[in-house]
Amino acid sequence: MHSNLATRRVFLQKGLTLLAVAPTIPTFLDQTVMALTDPLDSKATQQASGKDGKILVVVQLSGGNDGLSTVIPYGDDRYYQARTSISHKPQEILKIDNYVGLHPNLAPIKAMYDAGDLAVVQGVGYPNPNRSHFRSMDIWQSAQPEREQASTGWLGRYFDNTCPGCDPHVGVSMGETLPLAMQGEKVFPLSFERPDSYRYNGHDKTHYLALNQADAAAAPSATPFAVAPKKIVNTEQTQLDFLHRTAMDAQLSSEEILRITRNHSATAQYPYNEFGNGLKTIAAMIAGGLPTRVYYVALGGFDTHAAQLQRHDILMKQLADGLSAFWKDLKTQNNADRVLVMTFSEFGRRVVQNASNGTDHGAAAPMFVMGSSIRQGLVGRHPSLSDLDQGDLKYLVDFRSVYATILQSWLDTPSKPILGDQFPLLPIVKA
Amino acid sequence: MSVLHPLLQPYMPTPDDPFDRIKAAHLLNRAGFGGTDEEVEKVQKLGPSDAVDWMMDFPDAPAEEQGTGQSPDMSSVSGSPQTFQEFARSLIGKSPDERKQSLMMFQQANREAELSLTKWWLDRMAFGPTQMQEKLTLFWHGHFTTSAKDERSSMLMWRQNELLRRYAAGNFEPFVRAISRDPAMLDYLNNAQNRKAHPNENYARELMELFTLGIGNYTEDDVKQAARAFTGWAHDGLDFVYHRSQHDDGIKTFLGRSGNFDGDDIISIILRQPVCPRFIAGELFKYLAYDDIDPDLSAALGNLLFGNRYELRPLLRTILTSRAFYSPQSIGVQIKSPLQLVVGTVRMLGLKMPPEQAVLSALNQMGQLPLMPPNVRGWPGGHMWINTSTLFIRYNTGVWLAGGDVPAITRINRKNTGGKPITNTKGDNVAFTPDDNGSPQQIVEQWINRLIQRPLDDQKKQVLIDALGNNPQNPDSQRRVVQLIMSMPEYQLC
Repeated sequence: MHSNLATRRVFLQKGLTLLAVAPTIPTFLDQTVMALTDPLDSKATQQASGKDGKILVVVQLSGGNDGLSTVIPYGDDRYYQARTSISHKPQEILKIDNYVGLHPNLAPIKAMYDAGDLAVVQGVGYPNPNRSHFRSMDIWQSAQPEREQASTGWLGRYFDNTCPGCDPHVGVSMGETLPLAMQGEKVFPLSFERPDSYRYNGHDKTHYLALNQADAAAAPSATPFAVAPKKIVNTEQTQLDFLHRTAMDAQLSSEEILRITRNHSATAQYPYNEFGNGLKTIAAMIAGGLPTRVYYVALGGFDTHAAQLQRHDILMKQLADGLSAFWKDLKTQNNADRVLVMTFSEFGRRVVQNASNGTDHGAAAPMFVMGSSIRQGLVGRHPSLSDLDQGDLKYLVDFRSVYATILQSWLDTPSKPILGDQFPLLPIVKA
Repeated sequence: MSVLHPLLQPYMPTPDDPFDRIKAAHLLNRAGFGGTDEEVEKVQKLGPSDAVDWMMDFPDAPAEEQGTGQSPDMSSVSGSPQTFQEFARSLIGKSPDERKQSLMMFQQANREAELSLTKWWLDRMAFGPTQMQEKLTLFWHGHFTTSAKDERSSMLMWRQNELLRRYAAGNFEPFVRAISRDPAMLDYLNNAQNRKAHPNENYARELMELFTLGIGNYTEDDVKQAARAFTGWAHDGLDFVYHRSQHDDGIKTFLGRSGNFDGDDIISIILRQPVCPRFIAGELFKYLAYDDIDPDLSAALGNLLFGNRYELRPLLRTILTSRAFYSPQSIGVQIKSPLQLVVGTVRMLGLKMPPEQAVLSALNQMGQLPLMPPNVRGWPGGHMWINTSTLFIRYNTGVWLAGGDVPAITRINRKNTGGKPITNTKGDNVAFTPDDNGSPQQIVEQWINRLIQRPLDDQKKQVLIDALGNNPQNPDSQRRVVQLIMSMPEYQLC
């Protein structure tokens, strides 16, 4: 452990404005900043976070991605019979074997597959599938299908279990609000649409900092990061201390994220959209050594009830271009080995297309798991196109098996306390 | 009844402990959404008892029955089907394309109506004649949680909102019976699907866990039995209906009693449990006063509610005039909810309500969208409002409300807009001029009194005086000070 003094010196060298006057250092920064500035000494922060730790990037495809147009069973006539006007021709499909292939616009992802960096888990779902966007998304995010009203997510419980009271940087979500998946009870991951919204945007920053400095100077001895004073009776002073501390943490954390993301210049060409921007920011945070374990980003617009072909083609291109740029960036940074990317959607879509050249809400669908530690290949069989449940594909792999595998084989943590049960592990991650 | 718990005895002003501006502002903050200078002065003059009478002077009636112009603009759904069931009937005989078109129009109309309902409620909170009724309506909205997220009919949400208003300070017994029959609730907690052959336990469980008893005061078997008693309670699209053929007429054993119970019998048994009044009164006390209640105080609050046969007004009046309410443990200790923060700021600065889409975007980022609580537990509140992300949003929202240009707040998320374009998202350009031309110290004191309403540390006061600069009378200088006050931990408390 480092003395406050040593940490203070680091802050002064790095020119972080606030710490220059703060008599105490928030505990998390004591650990975090040392890890950032002193890569050799990273042992103390390895468990939950750390520069050299493994990273999970979750990509949420919002709206219900049509699995049958993503991993396409082109070798099955029933696909062409069900999708009379919205199917893809066999010659366009990027074939994986003689039964399935990837969407024509997923060429960069097919290249990752060929390079050995992609596993495709087929037919993922859960029992009694729910076809409401909200409910099914809650189920995927909470990983608690039996709960009508879940209040924590699987990643939130991962943080709660591995590092209660931890630095909020362990989880970063690119978006206005924190997704249920990241919500826990003991750790409060960050969420922001872009780094410039995660900062004080008032006009008089000089006096704002002066007010914070007055708080810092008057602050009592260091308490762990923003630990809510639950056990003691609240008074105005304990509440103010809690708020002061959080404000100081927020200010330092914001400066750090802005500094990191500004310093990094991406080596890859990201698509100009929200998804591309999100991935670019994530790559910058990884490059800058933010001690984050889980990043979360979404690509929306998959609710293709009508005129699906054009819309879905664009989305596939956005997905592929974003992820391939991200992957190139990570390779250049030499960080690709540390990162595993997982995609999911709240459900797939109905097998038979509807009368509007679109598809309605369905059930099971494939997931991508990408990374250089991945065991390449198709995982499981493709669900039958004739043995259906109310017109939808029957799931063959419970999504919690994918989560369990990632938690145990990638994040090195027991999955049962997080998922409530031991789900069978899949052969996705290399030993 | 025995002697009232010392903490619940009325606070009596003394020369050492006068009913000052701090206490008057405290009452307005907790029983309402924060007071203007004039209101603080008025409450201080009235004194603690008459002030509560004044705040409680509202009829136990929905807004619609309180006078003209008391309804949201629901015109987007007028003429179109007003519920999903009715909508489904209207589709019969239509082609698939016509159905798709109708569905999109129906959903769009509902989104617009929900937005309009939210705007109407925000306006009532900020400018309505019955501050305390709205503050309590918000309490019950978080208690008997229902979310528009799962509820596709804006009309049902409006009706529920009015139901909460009617009973906000009424009697808890008819209130529970009415909410158990409320169509939006029947949908939200799936009692509409609770049938004899396939009981759905969702409502029965939350009725006990969150609405009346609290967890640990019933068994899993009680949940199953209560669910059977509520089978057949459904609605026809707008009104409660009882489907006799779906109701389970068998004998149920619930909390130690046996009989052919229906939902009303279950409610009667629940209300006779001593823990029920304790639970409800404790929740109200926490909302109005403070969180840390010991078992004695909890029992005293429960006795008070039970002794008054679940009438809420005597309990509310006792809490709001009590020593506990005016103790240091209570004043300035509550972390403002995002709605308290936004509505309070609008009130205390005398602003117009900014465009609702922008307000909702800010509220969403701070974690409190009205009509959309995150789950059936409602908003957890307290420290859960605050983390490193939301604290910035709160500061930035304050700056924006005080006339700042803060794109990160007003960058509208399209899901909140009902698809309408936003025009002016810059904060209200209110005139920031003080009542008199005082010294910089006096000007800063005035703003602190008006906005924080409690004393402030000298060093921070000096920073604000410095920020006022060389031109203290200039409205822009004053706006700067106001925006800085909005960006302080002190402003997050009330």
